[in-house]
This record gives sequence, structure tokens and C-alpha cells, in this order.
Amino acid sequence: MYESNFIPYINRWGRATSLLAVALSFGPALALLTVFEIVPPTGAVVGGFLSVAVTFGLIWFIEPISYYPVLGIPGTYMAFLSGNISNLRLPCAAAAQESADVEAGTPRGSIISTIAIAGSIFVNITILTVGVFALVPVFEAMPEFGRNALESYLVPAIFGAIFAQFGRDYPKVAAVGLCIALSMTLLMEFGFLAFLPGLPLYAVILVSVFGTIYVAKLMWQNGMIETDS
Amino acid sequence: MDVANSTWLWISAAPVVFVVLLQAGLFLRRAWKNGKEMGLSDEQLETGLRTGIISAIGPAIAVLAAMLALIATIGGPVAWMRLTVIGSVAFELPAAELGISQLGYGFGDDGITETAFATAVWTMTLGGIGWLLVAALGTPHMEKARKRIVGGRNKLLPVVTSGAMLGAFAYFVSGEFTSGAPEMGSAAVGGLVMLSLLKVADEKEIQWIREWALGTAMAVGLVVGMALHTVAGGGW
Repeated sequence: MYESNFIPYINRWGRATSLLAVALSFGPALALLTVFEIVPPTGAVVGGFLSVAVTFGLIWFIEPISYYPVLGIPGTYMAFLSGNISNLRLPCAAAAQESADVEAGTPRGSIISTIAIAGSIFVNITILTVGVFALVPVFEAMPEFGRNALESYLVPAIFGAIFAQFGRDYPKVAAVGLCIALSMTLLMEFGFLAFLPGLPLYAVILVSVFGTIYVAKLMWQNGMIETDS
Repeated sequence: MDVANSTWLWISAAPVVFVVLLQAGLFLRRAWKNGKEMGLSDEQLETGLRTGIISAIGPAIAVLAAMLALIATIGGPVAWMRLTVIGSVAFELPAAELGISQLGYGFGDDGITETAFATAVWTMTLGGIGWLLVAALGTPHMEKARKRIVGGRNKLLPVVTSGAMLGAFAYFVSGEFTSGAPEMGSAAVGGLVMLSLLKVADEKEIQWIREWALGTAMAVGLVVGMALHTVAGGGW
């Protein structure tokens, strides 16, 4: 039943809805282009995409493969379409499997996680939709000072917090990574990377990401860091 | 920048949210039907759904708090679309930053142009489809791919993932450190608050602290950034 009936249905509809979502996710970008006629420079868009690809490209593949054993086939389609995987979908799926008394990784576990993730999607969309309509007017009504502060100082705190969150598991890798990234950023700020073509942002990102991965791998091979899984 | 909160952007952001709802609805209905045929009781199915709904409330409100940062930088509609579906704060914020930095801006700079905003939107859109495409086309083959790629090196995968994330966020933190004293203070304090809260949550096993850690770190970091700005000005 599960393999012959449920999974083929999920694969068919999972693929169709995901590809449709890829197309529709261009909505705002296309609205800016057609309705407002804002044409960003091709070089900037390509540069932006390449920077993201260098920063997150490996994660595009590693994340689905890493979470797949927990999420199962339906959960993988749903979680990567709806986002917020580690902070929302995984905890919801795990809690539901626990309370419905089914085992993770089994067909029954996968049915329950599908149902739980669907429930979490309805909740997330409802709360964020109500919330955004409440928050946007609040933000627009704020005095200039408050708006500037939100625009400038929320983001650094988030970056710091997320770095700390990942760094907790591997403090040594975090320390070396920060040294690499900070040196590269300072080199760029003081113009030492000016010999590279274009805005040398990509060089800083490339060295930071792959340098840190390399250091992490070396430390792991030499037994300097431990993995618990 | 009125474009960022315009009606047209709201309209253009809505369809993809409906597709996600549609997918969740289809999968839910089918899992319910097949689940019963597989011998799961009504009670188990209802418990699963109820737990999923209840467990999502806390994290969803926490996402809402973090969404304020995206509303402040790229406006309501795009923030709403990127966080109700597709992405998470940990991707969307960096992607938006990478987009506007292509034209030499940073968040909070005066007079960020509509062109820089559009570049950020395009960067987030193109960057976000990586995961979607891998999931859309790769999911049926995930088991095989996993065996081939991971092989016997099961334990290397989390190391590589953490290395990549740490390298990426070390880069974003460095950008904040070099842009001024308030930014540096906000980033450092945000990190420290996060560390202490997660430590407390682990030691006492309190789940809601974990859910609220990012929101709290943001709020404290914001206050520290504002205070430093008032006392010391921009710094360097």
C-alpha cells in the first residue's frame, strides 16, 4: 500500500507542485520588472546569484540528503517547499511521531510526519499572514529613528546569533572561520584585493566558505573535533 | 521606497503561497486515507495532526519576530512570501544582503535605490530555487544518492555542513564587524545572548527557551546597537 500506492502519488504531485512553485516564486521579481519597470543591472543579478551559489550551493544538496532519513519522501517535498526546516518542520514531525506512537523511518512514521508537517504549514502560513498585516503598518508608523535602528541593527544581531548557534557544536572551527573571514574582509576593505576583476566580494566569500570547510575537514581527520551522530 | 510595500507586490507574492497550501492539503488528504488503510487508528492520525499544529505555534511566532528584520529591509510582501514558504531567516537575510551589496549598499544605508531592492529580490528568488529543484527532481532518488555520496563517510557530512554554514556566517559577521561600532556590538551581543540561552535550554531542557532564543538575541542586539549609536556614533 505504502510503496505501491501512496509514494507514487506523492512523487507525482510533489514534483508537479514543487516545479509550479519554482515558477510562481518569480512573481515579485517579475512584478518589479513588468509593473514597475525596474530593471536591475544583469551584472548585479548574476553577481548576487553567484555569491549565493558559492555561499549556499553545497547546502542545496547536503540539506535534503541529510534530512531525508528523518523527513521521508513526502516530508522532503513539503519541508523544502515550505522552508523553516530545522526550526519548525523537523521538531513538529518528531513530536507528532512521538505522541502518535509510531517509529521514525517506517511507513507509518512517514504517514504521521506527513500529517504533522501539513498541520504545521497551515499554522505557519496563518500566523505569518496575520502577523505581517499587523507588523507592516506598525513599522511604517514608527519614527525615523526607530525605523533606522531596525533596518541597521536587527540584522547584525541575527547574523551573530546564527553564527553562535552553529558555532556551539564546533567552537574551534568557528574561531578559525571567523579569523579567515575577518582577514579577508579587512583585505578587501583596505583595497588589497583590488587586483581581482569586479567587486571582489566573491573572493572573500569563496575563501571564507571553502577555507572553513577545509579546516573543519582537517580538524576532523586529526581528531580535533568530534561528531556525535 | 513605496514599491516594496505596494499592492502589486502583495498580489504577485500570493500564488506561490497557495501552491504550498494546495500541496499540504493534497498530501494530508492522501496520507489520512492511506494511513487508515495501513492500520493507523483515527486517534493516532488525529494525535499526529494536533501535535503538528500545536508544536508549530511557538516556532511560527518566533519566525514572525525574525520577520520584522526582513520587513524592515525588503518590505512586507517579499518578507511574507519568503518566510511563509520556501525559505528561512538564515537564508533570506544573507541572500538579500548579498543582493544589495552588489550595488555597494548595506542594510540601513540611506537612499537604497529601487534597483538595489530589485537586485535583492532577484537574488533571493534565484538563490532559493536551488533547494526547490533538488527536492523536486531529486527526492525519488535520494536514497540512492545518499548511499553513493555518503558512502562509508557518514560522519563527514555534518562536518562539511557545519563548516559551510560557519564559513558563510563568519563572512556575514565580519561584514558587520567592519561596518561600525554599533553593528559590531549588535552582532557580538546577539551571538553571546544566543549562546547563553541555548546553554540554559540544554541544561534545564526547556524547549520554549530554544524557540525564543533568536528573537531574544535580536531584541538585545538591537538595543545594544541603538545604545552604542547614541553614545559613540557610528564608530569606524
